[in-house]
Amino acid sequence: MTAGGDRAREEFHSEAQELVETFSRNLLTLDAALRERREDPGLVNETFRAVHTLKSLAGLFGARRMAQLAHHLEDVLDALRLGKLPLTPEVLDLLFRAAELFAAALVAEREQTGDPLPAIGALLREFEQARAGPVAAASGVERYDLDPAMLAVLTEYEEHRLRSSVERGLSLFRVRVDFDLFTIDKALEDIKAQAKAFGEVLTYLPTGSAPSPDRIELDLLLASGEPLQVLVAALGGPHVTIEAIPLRAGGAAAPRTPLPPVVASLPSELPPAARLPADVAIDGGVDPAALRAVSQTVRVDIRRLDALMNVVGELAIVKNALARMAERVRAEGGRQLSSELHSIQRSFDRRLGELQGGILEVRMVPLGQVFDRLARAVRQLGREMGKDIRLVITGADTEIDKLIVEELSDPLMHVVRNAIDHGIESLAERSRLGKPTAGTIALNAFQKGNHVLIEVEDDGGGIDEVALGARAVSLGHLTESDLASLGRAERLNLVFLPGLSTRAEANDYSGRGVGMDVVKTNIARLGGVIDLHSEAEIGTKLTITLPVTLAIVSALLVRVEGRVYALPLTSVAEALQLDEGEVRSIDGREVITLRGQTLALCRLGRVFALPPVAGAREVTRRYVVVATLGARRLGLAVDELLGQQDIVIKPLGRSLGGVRGFAGATELGDQHVALVLDPGALIDEMLAAPLEAARERRALHA
Amino acid sequence: MPEAQRALSPVGSASLAARAPAREFLAFRLGADLYAVELTHVREIVSPPPLTGVPRSRPEVIGICSVRGLLVTVFDVRRVLRLEPELPGRLSRILLANAASGEVVGLFVDEVRQVIRLAPDEIELAAPNFGVELSRHVVGIGRPEGGFVVLLDLATMVDT
Repeated sequence: MTAGGDRAREEFHSEAQELVETFSRNLLTLDAALRERREDPGLVNETFRAVHTLKSLAGLFGARRMAQLAHHLEDVLDALRLGKLPLTPEVLDLLFRAAELFAAALVAEREQTGDPLPAIGALLREFEQARAGPVAAASGVERYDLDPAMLAVLTEYEEHRLRSSVERGLSLFRVRVDFDLFTIDKALEDIKAQAKAFGEVLTYLPTGSAPSPDRIELDLLLASGEPLQVLVAALGGPHVTIEAIPLRAGGAAAPRTPLPPVVASLPSELPPAARLPADVAIDGGVDPAALRAVSQTVRVDIRRLDALMNVVGELAIVKNALARMAERVRAEGGRQLSSELHSIQRSFDRRLGELQGGILEVRMVPLGQVFDRLARAVRQLGREMGKDIRLVITGADTEIDKLIVEELSDPLMHVVRNAIDHGIESLAERSRLGKPTAGTIALNAFQKGNHVLIEVEDDGGGIDEVALGARAVSLGHLTESDLASLGRAERLNLVFLPGLSTRAEANDYSGRGVGMDVVKTNIARLGGVIDLHSEAEIGTKLTITLPVTLAIVSALLVRVEGRVYALPLTSVAEALQLDEGEVRSIDGREVITLRGQTLALCRLGRVFALPPVAGAREVTRRYVVVATLGARRLGLAVDELLGQQDIVIKPLGRSLGGVRGFAGATELGDQHVALVLDPGALIDEMLAAPLEAARERRALHA
Repeated sequence: MPEAQRALSPVGSASLAARAPAREFLAFRLGADLYAVELTHVREIVSPPPLTGVPRSRPEVIGICSVRGLLVTVFDVRRVLRLEPELPGRLSRILLANAASGEVVGLFVDEVRQVIRLAPDEIELAAPNFGVELSRHVVGIGRPEGGFVVLLDLATMVDT
């Protein structure tokens, strides 16, 4: 495939993603309206159009599973739109499931897996059952064992033709043709023309299976008065199989699902639905309206923005050179020239700042993208667990780096699941406590300086810290006496230890071995931190603090043995002076006591085996920077604190892939490069495997 | 000249021989000896910017530096070849080269000399008589007009 094709495909994926998101967002609004017993015909119309566009797009890119689903969904929405099908919570549930399936189908497309999604067929059958349109007058069609999927997609006209064909005593045949994708337009017309001599092609539908990627299989429904042998002789071929559609056993009309009430005429702003051609056409036959971009946006690969950001970094270096030049000119007596240069340089600086800000802004997307997904999950989980959950979202328009949003979905989902499953009490329990039956989960997002805060708050029972402590002890994370020495907040933080859950048994929704420790680690990887507050019977509030962007992070610059290192501020809890007299040694490892707690000390100079720089003056006073990862802390001993600076972290080259302890490197502006420490890796190394680390240190010294 | 190459070279006039695909190498000096890497791998030659040492990296890596925003890992060719260490001098340069992995790496050398063109019959492919450490990285010996230059394999030097 050409690069151009790849790009087009990427565009398709992101546009389809957007449409699916619009679809599910609309469903949530419809759900809210339904609860208030309101109707929103405009929104149903809009939803119909989104699905219609999705269908055309999916057809164009050969995403058959999506096209098939969209195709059927379009009919359901059309029926809803025209009032032929009432919008009930049950129908809405099915639509929500369709949204989930779309997401799954989209992932399957993106990963180019050809696996069929059986859930789509199952859902479509349920749609069939849910439809309670007027039952068509018995025409004999019911006697035929027709594929419901095919029946479901007949237009009113086709349905009419089918009925009248059967009434005229014609038999029904299924002609399965395997077309070459590139010639399907013509081949389809050819076979229709051929068949015309023997009967009528009533409709055709992709079967959803294809022998190879460049072929597509279609079922044609043929009504004919000729016997099967005649048809096979006339139409049969290497790619064509013809079967008579059997009559139902007993001949009695089984309680058939009624034919879908579909109306052929569409609103004037929409061209006649490009029904099947959109599924199969490669060129031509595609609804032009669907191809028009849905929004005024340009999609950009985030790596291109990274490249632009690098250019900005280089410009900053040019700017510094300019400043030095201005200084030199002034020193050499060119006062007038120097001041002009200075003013140019200042203006350059300003524009550069704007450019950098602009690029950062482009990377920003609203958190609403994630919240919508969560809202869907909340609705579904609440139903499945028999709990009435009210979700209150504020600050969905808060913007954050695209890369962060992508990684935020899973951790947040886990937190929300926990809140519904473990947090919100059962209906009976709530009424016993005199709480409103509906449990509330609040999702709040807001920006605070260079950080975005996301709060997940529930009004449930709170975390049982006694049970939590007991579980942590039984898992061997700490001893009874350790536990006794912990304060309330620290006990709550035990929830972030691996394997912790206050529930004795895991269920399907949470506590499947993926615990809060993973959530915390994932958030930490984004440079974020989690705070937890919980009150018995009042609820739990979890606050996630994230940097607005990963492109630029605030860092603390420190000096160790004459070398400068950067430490991302997100994992720095505090910095204090090191009192060497307070350093104790436990089992060969240095520790200090910080506010009554033991803190392992890591002397960076020693761990990195840094030789002292010749001529450096003796460091008499050192500092400890307390780095945190989840509930774990480590004191990093450094020689000097140099201050805070916003830095752009660049990954180390592949040839340094095996080097642990660094998140990358950054340019400090004077052409010097400083390594950026990875506090998480250092904490893992120092605390999780002390023996191994000690062995490694010895090996390094040897 | 090895038999195989003689067989492949076009027989005939001098002008035909000149058109035989000559390969271009960039020659550099380490101590008193000349070495070279294939020119197509070399992107650029830069004066060494300040280098930042990377703790825990392999000993051949002398550090990282930034070349116009690009982070480059710099290998000391002396250390790669197990030669005696030497302090960087006024003529020291870094060759920026494309490694097989796609990464741009730096090669720290004492001095960059010139581009040399070597016809196939000026390249001696085998180099069995060097020490083990050196042989690993040597692809051949170039003999341009009576000179002597050790041809090095970039891939093995930066990828171990």
